[in-house]
Amino acid sequence: MLEIRNLHASVSEEGKEILKGIDLTIRPGEVHAIMGPNGSGKSTLANIIAGRDSYEITDGTITYLGEDLAEMEPEERAHKGVFLAFQYPVEIPGVSNTYFLRAAVNAKRVANGEAEIDALNFMKFIREKVKLLGLKDDLLQRSVNEGFSGGEKKRNEIFQMAVLEPSLCVMDETDSGLDIDALKTVADGVNALRSPERAFVVVTHYQRLLNYIVPDFVHILKDGKIVKSGDKSLALELEDKGYGWLEEELATSAN
Amino acid sequence: MSAVLTYEALLSAAIAVAESRLSQGPEWLTALRTRALAIHKDLGIPTPKHEEWKYTPLRTVANTNWQPAEGGPALFEREFRAYTDSKIKIVLVNGRLDRNLSDIPATPGLTAMSLFDAIGSEPTISEFLGQVASVEEHTFAALNTALFEDGLYLHLKKGAMVEPVIEILHITSGAGQVIAPRILVVAEEGSVAQILEQYVSAEEAANLTIPVTEVVTHKHANIEHVRLQDESTENFHIALWETRQTGESEYRSYNVAFGAAIGRLDQNIMLDGRHITTRLDGVVVARGEQILDNHTKLDHAMPDCNSFEIYKQIIDDKASVVFNGKIFVHQDAQKTDAKQTNQALLLSPNATINSKPQLEIFADDVKCTHGATVGQIEPTFLFYMRSRGIPKAEAEAILVYAFAAEVLELISNDDLKKNLEARLFEKLGLS
Repeated sequence: MLEIRNLHASVSEEGKEILKGIDLTIRPGEVHAIMGPNGSGKSTLANIIAGRDSYEITDGTITYLGEDLAEMEPEERAHKGVFLAFQYPVEIPGVSNTYFLRAAVNAKRVANGEAEIDALNFMKFIREKVKLLGLKDDLLQRSVNEGFSGGEKKRNEIFQMAVLEPSLCVMDETDSGLDIDALKTVADGVNALRSPERAFVVVTHYQRLLNYIVPDFVHILKDGKIVKSGDKSLALELEDKGYGWLEEELATSAN
Repeated sequence: MSAVLTYEALLSAAIAVAESRLSQGPEWLTALRTRALAIHKDLGIPTPKHEEWKYTPLRTVANTNWQPAEGGPALFEREFRAYTDSKIKIVLVNGRLDRNLSDIPATPGLTAMSLFDAIGSEPTISEFLGQVASVEEHTFAALNTALFEDGLYLHLKKGAMVEPVIEILHITSGAGQVIAPRILVVAEEGSVAQILEQYVSAEEAANLTIPVTEVVTHKHANIEHVRLQDESTENFHIALWETRQTGESEYRSYNVAFGAAIGRLDQNIMLDGRHITTRLDGVVVARGEQILDNHTKLDHAMPDCNSFEIYKQIIDDKASVVFNGKIFVHQDAQKTDAKQTNQALLLSPNATINSKPQLEIFADDVKCTHGATVGQIEPTFLFYMRSRGIPKAEAEAILVYAFAAEVLELISNDDLKKNLEARLFEKLGLS
């Protein structure tokens, strides 16, 4: 589904290199966790997949469903099934969640040659999603993220994910700032959306979220490179021994 | 450079007409016009040295020999957008009530008639006509007072409840004329009505439109008044809109300014009674090289009144917008609650906003707040929406709409609200 080869990227304005040669293959149905210390480049990777223009790809390729992802506008990526759950979801006063999501769903439908969904059927559709995720109905009438608590914002990201039904879900530190209950709600939402056709990239600093969203693969990113990959036990080991352990490990293996 | 331009060169043809009208009509009107003409001659045309006219460049206005307004055609080629399905449609062409184009069905409690006729037939009109507008501070309103030939008189009887929106359409037609529309609205005790006052051009042409609208709201009257200035972007529009509220009345006013090359509105509201509620809101969209200048003034003269003011300004290309918001809280006006917000959204690096809140408070037990912000469309907002699949242009439209919606949403008539939103999108080239 997603093939990343020797990806190098830097911050557009400063030119500082953040990603220094990433290789990653993600197949349908898989859940990949990307872990790493602050400043290792994990959020950059998530944002580059979604098409944020504050980063520039300087070398390498990202191929999604056989197409060059780097050539696509952010909205085209969304139309083809890429979704980014933001670390800091944006508040948009004056635009209701329902209006916002209907615009998004219809843009995707039109781009894929389907007819727009009418207001009535759309309401039915999103009410089902609200129920599926165990959320409150009033979410629909509220302005996008306006005045939401940190937990509500993250839940809203998962709700949007459920409505847009993407193929590749990238979650950028969705667990940051969440208490344990909110964390569980978010994880339950993600688990409800898991399917053999859908892949997840879960970017996180802590192992905690991975107790609830169990990954098939764990990759550790450091200084712009994946330095270690493994299964879920790698996350536990990292949690147990800390990022310091990783430094030693790497130093030993280099010798 | 002095603060006024030499008078002789300007408007001389219009002045001659005004002088010829001085002796017509009742004595009180002659007195009113004589005084107004003297004020106009004294004030002249202000230059940018004049503090209140600093950002309204009037050189072109001053250097054009404007001719007195003539009548328009019997029918117009272009269609004008219908904002509501109201049965009451009052059309004025170049300031004159057009009986053929108007539709004024008999409505209980409502008198809507030619101002010229009303001066002859309504004895009480002299109590109000020219008594609300502060002509001594507004040279163009003074000229209007000396010059107006006709206009509209709207009278709402005590307790009148007018259901349909009273739609007033001012059409300017032709070119090179000075046009002086004049409106007087008197809302008697407990009357309720919604008014849409719309200014449009029949052709893309330059005229000098100098409207004056006077409104009086008596005790317990409840009036909503939307003013849409959507004239040709070649036109000059310099207007005074002044309201005097008395006890316990509610007046909600919305200034929507989209048109004119140079558009200037002074909107003044005098809160002259206790327990008055006032809204003075604005949505301004300027594009190309438009200059739209809005000066607002709220005079809190008495205790226990509330006023709310929200101005939303969207500025694109090389356009510039001015906001000057005065709130005077007089010594007697204890327990005043006044809130002013003005926000500008700049859509281009060459767009300009000049914003000046001006609160002068002489009472000690009041709540007065004001806030001014200037912003751009946040790139993070755009990316967020695009990452959800909403194309860039649509995302921008939604964000601009959301910015203006805070004011437009307050308009109580749904058709009017919806059509103003549609016109907003069209104006922004986003429809």
